[in-house]
Amino acid sequence: MDTIKLNIPASPAYLQVVRLIAAGLATRLRFTLDEIEDLKIAVDELSAYLTGAQGRDGTLEIRFVVHDNKLEISGAGKFAPGQKVRTDLTELSRMILHTVVDSASLQQADGAPVFELVKSKA
Amino acid sequence: MTDRTMLDKDQVREIFVAYQSAPDEETKLLHRERLVEQFIGLVEFLARRFRNRGEPIEDLIQVGTIGLLKAIDRFDLEREVEFSTYATPTIVGELKRHFRDKGWAVRVPRRLQELHLELTKFVSHLGQELGRSPTVAEIAEAANFTEEQVLEGLEIAQAYNFASLDAPITSDDGGTTSFADQLGGEDEQLENLEYRASLAPEMEKLPERERTILYLRFFKGMTQSEIADRLGISQMHVSRLLNRTLMHLREALEDET
Repeated sequence: MDTIKLNIPASPAYLQVVRLIAAGLATRLRFTLDEIEDLKIAVDELSAYLTGAQGRDGTLEIRFVVHDNKLEISGAGKFAPGQKVRTDLTELSRMILHTVVDSASLQQADGAPVFELVKSKA
Repeated sequence: MTDRTMLDKDQVREIFVAYQSAPDEETKLLHRERLVEQFIGLVEFLARRFRNRGEPIEDLIQVGTIGLLKAIDRFDLEREVEFSTYATPTIVGELKRHFRDKGWAVRVPRRLQELHLELTKFVSHLGQELGRSPTVAEIAEAANFTEEQVLEGLEIAQAYNFASLDAPITSDDGGTTSFADQLGGEDEQLENLEYRASLAPEMEKLPERERTILYLRFFKGMTQSEIADRLGISQMHVSRLLNRTLMHLREALEDET
């Protein structure tokens, strides 16, 4: 089990870096292209809640945990005080996440919005 | 499409003679128009070979027509070749240039553009061969790229200029058909989705093709490769359309709150 940590500005522009790392790690696990695409969709879907469309004042702390057959990704928003972030997933988001990954969640933890997802190889 | 009577070699030659010796601009254009009509089928044929690269086929035909006009302009009757033989590389050249220079929504280095086009080819080829979605390692090996290059190529797919969603698509036998035609019964089901409105009013506003892909992926659980097969487009194109749709939906979400 290996862990990789990444801090990025809380802006959609930097999500590409997260996607690339996720895809890179999934490649090490021999995920298929479809599985990699699914993983990227989940990363985007959940991260979008944290960054918002315009980005926020603060950073995202992303953690990738590589298991033998699965990838675990979590992200926490560390924002300047007073920024309201919704953590209730829409029905559509739930549906999307349910389709593309094994499990996914978004919640407030210690006053910070946090997402978690797990995707294993078929 | 207008009615086209195919002329034989000599008749084509006659128009070329008339075109090249036209006394005035107006007559010249008239003859040119006849030549274009005669060879637009060739343009369409060649344009269709590029149809899975995310550009609307009408645009490709337009681009190809520019190539055709150039070829008509430059054709030398002294040559011992048929016009279609002469025109083909010019038309293809024009199409290729279009993809190189104009096909990208965001400026992407040419190296990456070419990488991406290469990858699209290998992904669909391998998918068919394996009967499943290929891994990055498999693509890298087949295409003789490193895994990193493949990943890079996949990621930049998102920068690609997307096809118009309402554009008719072209089937393998060369006929054109709309998405609705291909989906048949599925589309009706789509209309009857009870939960659609409650899930996302924004989905209502999506163009049919985007909604369809969303539906097949998330409501029917089809994979991107399966959707690609079903709709006769590449997996990477499905990926682009899906990602763009989701991006739209996320932006809509933002507006709500």
